Amino acid sequence: MKNIVIKFLALFMLLSMTSLFANEHMATSVEKADATHKEETYKSKSFSAMISGFLASTGVVALINPGDELNAKGEPMSTFHKGLGRVIMILVTFFLFWLAIARGFEPLLLLPIAFGGLLANIPVAGIAGAHGFLGVIYQMGLSNEMFPIIIFMGVGAMTDFGPLLSNPKTALLGGAAQFGIFGTLVGAVALSQAGLVDFTLQQASAISIIGGADGPTSIFIATKLAPELLGAIAVASYSYMAMVPIIQPPIMKALTTDAERKIKMTTLRHVSRLEKLIFPIMVLSLSILVLPESTPLIGAFMFGNFLKESGVVERLNDTLQNALINITTIFLGLGVGSKLAADQFLVPETMFIMVLGIIAFSVGTAAGVLMAKFMNLFPGHKINPLIGSAGVSAVPMAARVSNKVGMEYDRTNMLLMHAMGPNVAGVIGSAVAAGVLISLFK
Amino acid sequence: MTETNLIVEGFKFMGLGMGTVFLFLIVMIGSMNIMSTIIHKFFPEPQAADTNPSATAQKDNKKVVAAITAAITHHRQG
Repeated sequence: MKNIVIKFLALFMLLSMTSLFANEHMATSVEKADATHKEETYKSKSFSAMISGFLASTGVVALINPGDELNAKGEPMSTFHKGLGRVIMILVTFFLFWLAIARGFEPLLLLPIAFGGLLANIPVAGIAGAHGFLGVIYQMGLSNEMFPIIIFMGVGAMTDFGPLLSNPKTALLGGAAQFGIFGTLVGAVALSQAGLVDFTLQQASAISIIGGADGPTSIFIATKLAPELLGAIAVASYSYMAMVPIIQPPIMKALTTDAERKIKMTTLRHVSRLEKLIFPIMVLSLSILVLPESTPLIGAFMFGNFLKESGVVERLNDTLQNALINITTIFLGLGVGSKLAADQFLVPETMFIMVLGIIAFSVGTAAGVLMAKFMNLFPGHKINPLIGSAGVSAVPMAARVSNKVGMEYDRTNMLLMHAMGPNVAGVIGSAVAAGVLISLFK
Repeated sequence: MTETNLIVEGFKFMGLGMGTVFLFLIVMIGSMNIMSTIIHKFFPEPQAADTNPSATAQKDNKKVVAAITAAITHHRQG
């Protein structure tokens, strides 16, 4: 027995030795090939020439005295965008880091975006270029609108339509808030009419969708209609979503009276599981009939929600809500960050996008509040106008803001669940608005 | 000529867009109401069935707790 084992071992060693030799042989032949290949391109230099060559390739030189680099699209860039512009953009990303870490502004997205921006502004390395890894990420999931769709699935799996189902008419508030989108669209074309800036109708539409307060939808539309503005639109969209608690309360307070803010809403009825299960299929069927153009967004959203409400695929639901959405968020953030390259971000349009974005947000908020006041003119259960502001999507931040402002005036008035209704309706509403915009440019 | 049309175009977009959004949501609200009336009329059982088992389970739990406490006291006395 022992002998057989030893023989086996010997045989095994012999075999491995021969294969090792074979490998070595292969390796040497490859090395030879490499060496001959190198000999063609590599010429011996003096040591001083090597040092000066190396110094010329450092980042310091590239920033101060840029060479003829091409941008991500393969076009030549201006000297400003290659030198000082990059330094400015790197400082901007530091500012975004500060916003995300110290002030807690949507850190989950702002950090990947800002770091992507930092990487995209490195000279020479070309990380955001077609063969850099940020460029590859962008090609992989942003230019074909894949990542926003996956995010939508995850958001669907996190959404509870219960509050909306128990008080369906609050969905109208989510519709009114979409006025922010179309109002801003008019504003943007008016600006280019006045000759201040040159936005095409497509670009104006992509900018105005910021008013939908829905990050994935904004990115989806921007990549479809105006990919050159993606960076600015995404940054505006996410930073304003993060600033919802600052932007909304003054508008809400200005448009409501003290008595209106203290309106108590009737408690929500219980929603059966069957209703929640049928709802996603129902909305999807409606969007198929009314506006097939919106079904990529609504379909993904309802897919996630359907998995959740079915209750039989807990594992898939868990993956959608956690692992998948987290992975996609990282890639989405980095991909968007690649559009923060100086030559694409440091253009006059960016400033207008920022201004138009905040107008879109404010108009949407105001329209939601006014719609609630308008609905109170009719008989029926009264609606606290403070939940109207939650009609801009920004789930669940906008609903929390409604709740917080309501509590300031009456500590016993819990508006959170009531505000979730218009909040999720706002997501559907902005997806429909996005579908309308896409269909108009077909 | 295109310049003069641009704002008008914007308003057209607005009319169509807001119209579609509201139409969609109103139809959605209508179908939600219809759906919930149908479900409450024809399938009201699941809700009742949901609450009953948990109640019986609670009762069972109480029985078990009572039995355990009784056993413990018996053990201590004995």
